[in-house]
Amino acid sequence: MTLPVAVAVVGTGDFARQHLLALASIPEVEVRWVAGTDLARATALSALVPGARPTTDVAGAVTDPAVEAVDVVTATPGHAPWTIAAGRAGKHVHVEKPAALSLADLDEMVAGTEGNGVDGTGTTLMVGQTVRFQPAVTALAAAAHAGQIGDPRLLHVTWYTGHAWPMGWRAWHLDPTLSGGHPVHNGTHIIDLATWLLGAPPVEVFARGFPTFAPDMPIPDSFHVQARTADGALATLELCYALRRRGDMLRRVVLVGTEGTLRHSTEEEPGLVSDAAKPGPVSLEGALRLQLAHWIDVVRGRAEAVVKTAEVRGALAAALAAQRSLETGRRVHVSEIEGYDGERSSAARAGGAA
Amino acid sequence: MSSLRIGFASGVRHAADYLRILGDDPRVELVAVTEEPDAPECMRAASRAAAETAGVPYREAPDALAEAGAVDVVVVCAEPTRHARLALAALGAGAHVLVDKPLATTLADADALVAAAERAGRVCAVVNRTHAPALRRARAWVDAGHIGLPRHLDLEFFASGAHFGTSVERPELVVDRELSGGGELMNFLGYLADAVHHLTGLATREVHAFAAPLFLPTHVEAGVEDAAVVTLALERGVTATITLGRIPYAPGGTPTTSSIRLLGSHGHAVVDDEQPAVTRFGADGTTTSAPDAGQVALEAYLRHVVDALVAGGVPDYTAVDARAAVAVIDAAYRSLETGDVADVR
Repeated sequence: MTLPVAVAVVGTGDFARQHLLALASIPEVEVRWVAGTDLARATALSALVPGARPTTDVAGAVTDPAVEAVDVVTATPGHAPWTIAAGRAGKHVHVEKPAALSLADLDEMVAGTEGNGVDGTGTTLMVGQTVRFQPAVTALAAAAHAGQIGDPRLLHVTWYTGHAWPMGWRAWHLDPTLSGGHPVHNGTHIIDLATWLLGAPPVEVFARGFPTFAPDMPIPDSFHVQARTADGALATLELCYALRRRGDMLRRVVLVGTEGTLRHSTEEEPGLVSDAAKPGPVSLEGALRLQLAHWIDVVRGRAEAVVKTAEVRGALAAALAAQRSLETGRRVHVSEIEGYDGERSSAARAGGAA
Repeated sequence: MSSLRIGFASGVRHAADYLRILGDDPRVELVAVTEEPDAPECMRAASRAAAETAGVPYREAPDALAEAGAVDVVVVCAEPTRHARLALAALGAGAHVLVDKPLATTLADADALVAAAERAGRVCAVVNRTHAPALRRARAWVDAGHIGLPRHLDLEFFASGAHFGTSVERPELVVDRELSGGGELMNFLGYLADAVHHLTGLATREVHAFAAPLFLPTHVEAGVEDAAVVTLALERGVTATITLGRIPYAPGGTPTTSSIRLLGSHGHAVVDDEQPAVTRFGADGTTTSAPDAGQVALEAYLRHVVDALVAGGVPDYTAVDARAAVAVIDAAYRSLETGDVADVR
């Protein structure tokens, strides 16, 4: 009998809660620690998973010799230090998106995990690009990567969701110094999606945004990015977190290739209409559990990570460029982003086309 | 005026459709299709063929139509780079004019046409799609306040390249800059700029565009764009995204597919030119029957133009509106040249 993978979860926010519920449903996982700065929250969250213990000694949890893998689900500024600490302690790491707030931080995270061994024998680092594990997106990517539409050249992603910012003005997401701004914080989802579906990272971007409900909001609740990739493909990527009704969603993807076109839209999905509940579209269902189950396969060496760090680097550079475009009102080339490196971008392209 | 005498100055591109639709209107008398005697043989042949198909006389002397008072309206249906010259001549001769889109391939020509129409006291109407039922439906929702204040529009417009070789369009009239004035931005962006203005009433201030020949050999060889992504900044902080192209297989069942998503402060709306549609499943696979929105919008607008002119009025879309669309196209091309945002002039 194989021993379970002992996991320490770092973070006690709402998304840590969702991670814990997903991890608890994977039989091969033993959550050993729920670590964070707030003991009350860590205690409440650890109660969700039998055997998990709360602690405020985060460093102790991520270096615990009994822990094999660490899931970093803190606010973004915590991603780099805890990923690096865990990697240096020989742990496999899963880190939430966006992986980092700078390319330098991401490079250190990769060096501290994948590069933290002799002859490439370091531990694994998987970034939680949950969108890739949504059933419809997985199917779109499989069709595109199998060559069913020839060479994908044009992408149009519309993603509107009914939502108000949680925590009001206290939310760290609203502070661009902590979240990277909306194109980095949530934009990572669609920019990674574009990188994956088009098989190359964006190299030029232009972004505009707008606040729907609160004119003084420090970051736009809605924005769009238009991009050209390293291979010359084009994309319109829209993200809106301000549909009027909470729970509403419209997600539409059109991917045009040289020999065909793929389209998926939540508009075409049947679902529940009831005053009692409003579950999300079936095309998005179960993504986080699939993602974390895949991570466990990666930790066990049964699979290569679907999300490659070279692709993450390319998408992060584009997201940082999009935020800069939003701030400056001009087109931004990713080479303007500190630490951008064309060669690594090529690596992302090779990985994305796999 | 109880009936309209209409002549065509050139009859290439969409002329067959315009001749058919106008010819079916009992208030219209089609007088002739004309062509410039020094026009290239291919243009003259195409115009002659259009006339013959419509059962209308063909002549090679365009200005003579209006100068002789033989027509009330001149339909300018040449390749785009000849639109302005032919329309200016017709207006100068005292006729009303209906110009195929785009109104002109330069902003200066568009300005000249607006000025000429005003000076002549004649109507300069321009083919457009603002009478498309989906667009009108969305406008009614906006006007009723159902979505609150419009904040953002997302528009998608695709023509299927599979239809390109067999359509009425001669490919060179779309891809040869000398004839077309540009690629698919020149060809299609005006429709979308019109839709944005129709829905919001706001002028576009800034344009950013990426474009490239991504798909079709005709466009790749000619070095003109077959696809583009464009963002507009309108007055009052409203934004719009546009994804357009002539692509190998458009995601729909008609020659062009277009849809609009409209985000407002108090609601959102989606309209699709191909809805409502009926899907049939059979031995030959799945087929979807939907109205050809381009034809529906065209027929509605041409009928409206005839209505207006017969009544001595002015159509709801003229060169003034088309000039605004040309200005957006002009800014998009300048954005491509400079690699950054361009102000709309």
